[in-house]
Amino acid sequence: MEVVWAVGQVGALWVAVVLGLIVLPSALGISLGISEAYMWVLVKTLEWATIRLQKGAKKPQPPRTPTANGIIERDETPMEKEIALLHRADFEFSHIFYFCRKGFEAIVEDEVTQRFSSEELLSWNLLTRTNVNFHYISLRLTVVWVIGVIVRYCFLLPLRVTLAAIGITSMIVGTTVVGQLPNSSVKNYLSEVVHLTCSRILVRALSGTIHYHNKENRPQKGGICVANHTSPIDAIILTNDGCYAMVGQVHGGLMGIIQRATVKACPHVWFERSEIKDRHLVTKRLREHVADKSKLPILIFPEGTCINNTSVMMFKKGSFEIGGTIYPVAIKYDPQFGDAFWNSSKYNIVSYLLRIMTSWAIVCNVWYLPPMVRKEDEDAVQFANRVRSAIARQGGLTELPWDGGLKRAKVKDTFKEEQQKNYSKMLVRNGSVG
Amino acid sequence: EGPQDSAPVTSLHSLAVTSEQIEHLHRRFKQLSQDQLTIRKENFDSIPDLEFNPIRGKIVHAFFDKRNLRQESDGLADEINFEDFLTIMSYFRPIEMNMDEEQLDRFRKEKLKFLFHMYDSDHDGKITLQEYRNVVEELLSGNPHLEKESARSIADGAMMEAASICVGQMGPDQVYEGITFEDFLKMWQGIDIETKMHVRFLNVDTIAHCY
Repeated sequence: MEVVWAVGQVGALWVAVVLGLIVLPSALGISLGISEAYMWVLVKTLEWATIRLQKGAKKPQPPRTPTANGIIERDETPMEKEIALLHRADFEFSHIFYFCRKGFEAIVEDEVTQRFSSEELLSWNLLTRTNVNFHYISLRLTVVWVIGVIVRYCFLLPLRVTLAAIGITSMIVGTTVVGQLPNSSVKNYLSEVVHLTCSRILVRALSGTIHYHNKENRPQKGGICVANHTSPIDAIILTNDGCYAMVGQVHGGLMGIIQRATVKACPHVWFERSEIKDRHLVTKRLREHVADKSKLPILIFPEGTCINNTSVMMFKKGSFEIGGTIYPVAIKYDPQFGDAFWNSSKYNIVSYLLRIMTSWAIVCNVWYLPPMVRKEDEDAVQFANRVRSAIARQGGLTELPWDGGLKRAKVKDTFKEEQQKNYSKMLVRNGSVG
Repeated sequence: EGPQDSAPVTSLHSLAVTSEQIEHLHRRFKQLSQDQLTIRKENFDSIPDLEFNPIRGKIVHAFFDKRNLRQESDGLADEINFEDFLTIMSYFRPIEMNMDEEQLDRFRKEKLKFLFHMYDSDHDGKITLQEYRNVVEELLSGNPHLEKESARSIADGAMMEAASICVGQMGPDQVYEGITFEDFLKMWQGIDIETKMHVRFLNVDTIAHCY
């Protein structure tokens, strides 16, 4: 009996601490500085761990180069120059070298598949999952690692799960309550408060540290916000700082419940599965939303799938045909503290969330870019590329002309033919035919 | 389990790649093979970058060519393991600073032999006119502007030049059967191919470890 009472006391204390230190500040939008202190301790520990690792290595370490660009040195000499370098008359011999080498480079690593596996770190962050060859290094380091595991799984994980539960529940309850009110400015204000609060709680549930830059460019009502996509939490990262109307497919389960609740309070745009296939219908609905200047800006991720945050892939042009003002946003995660990338072919959503919640923290930078409008002589594809370049440049990501759909599908024939035509044009120009 | 366990020591030495590079290649191998122990031709279909390559077929073929795999028998293998994969990759390793004359010569011969095998598709040790035309056609494939005749004339011109280099002036009855490997070597004398046919690894140490 006493045991039950004691457990009850501990439980109550726990909830009180969580509410007081986390939920309440979230609602009021203030920060107690706990996250900052945590991050400071974390950074110091990881620096120490890295120094230990470097000391432990017998050989002197050669200067490191970032691996984001691959493991082989690509010879960027354009094909024309290369072929000119070989003096032989037989042109096709030169061509064969070029294509042989390109073929081998592609086999050793190709730009596309690289983007669908997590970015490699230059130093270890005490998570075994990022250390592919975990070697025993020193007792002290192992002890720190074990402490790290205990802290992450026994302390951080339950805390985060509690917070996430509180966040999601309050979102559902809050939006349902607000949804009962008649449409008015009070309702809109309350809906914003609820969304912001729950978003903040969820960000704390991930130990998220987000730096927002250029807040003066924040998306305005009646606009469209586009961002690069790395993980499902991108949406939470953005809604932490502003209110958006989400666009997406109706899901079942918990996600569906959240969707149904939130749409009552705030005009999110949820499509049925059958509706998504009809592009005109989708565009029409989004146009109507954007035309109403009192509605919140829509949030779209034009890549269509999660990329590993080292590059930006092709933007689907659909979002850029709607019209209106586009507010580009660049999101760059710092992989040092936790890898936010969701490799959906490798992990399902639950194991992904588990990984996120047992990482140290999610640290990211968000840049709001100045708004862009489609020029008169531009078509949707060119406009999409222009926006994509701006995002890639700001976030320090590379641009790839590839389609995110390549994660699962093969290269489109039209694209292949384009490449072949370029090569042939070059041959004819060289006058080496006939 | 690691790549060092499966590959015998001799082949690793001839590759002269670091253990980190082997780890990278092993990871790539696993990616291509989808975690199986061997790769088949179909596994190369999953590389988008390769789709654009006009001689894609010949390159993939080269991986399964038993002559390149240094096996005694002839013909094509159905599947290759990681050791075979490394063997083929070794044809593309770059020159090292400390190579002497003999090593350089062997190095060059190996690369040219690889190229020769690519042309000689029926494995008879000679590149015939038809085989040559085949390669040129593939290189020019997909180009709507060039007709088959252009490909032929290119191939014919090349064969004639090869014949003149290797056999000298030919009489009217002489038939040039095909380019043998010795002729092939002669054609490429003096041309620097070593820097054209290699893939150089960046010197990266992604994760520090000590031993």
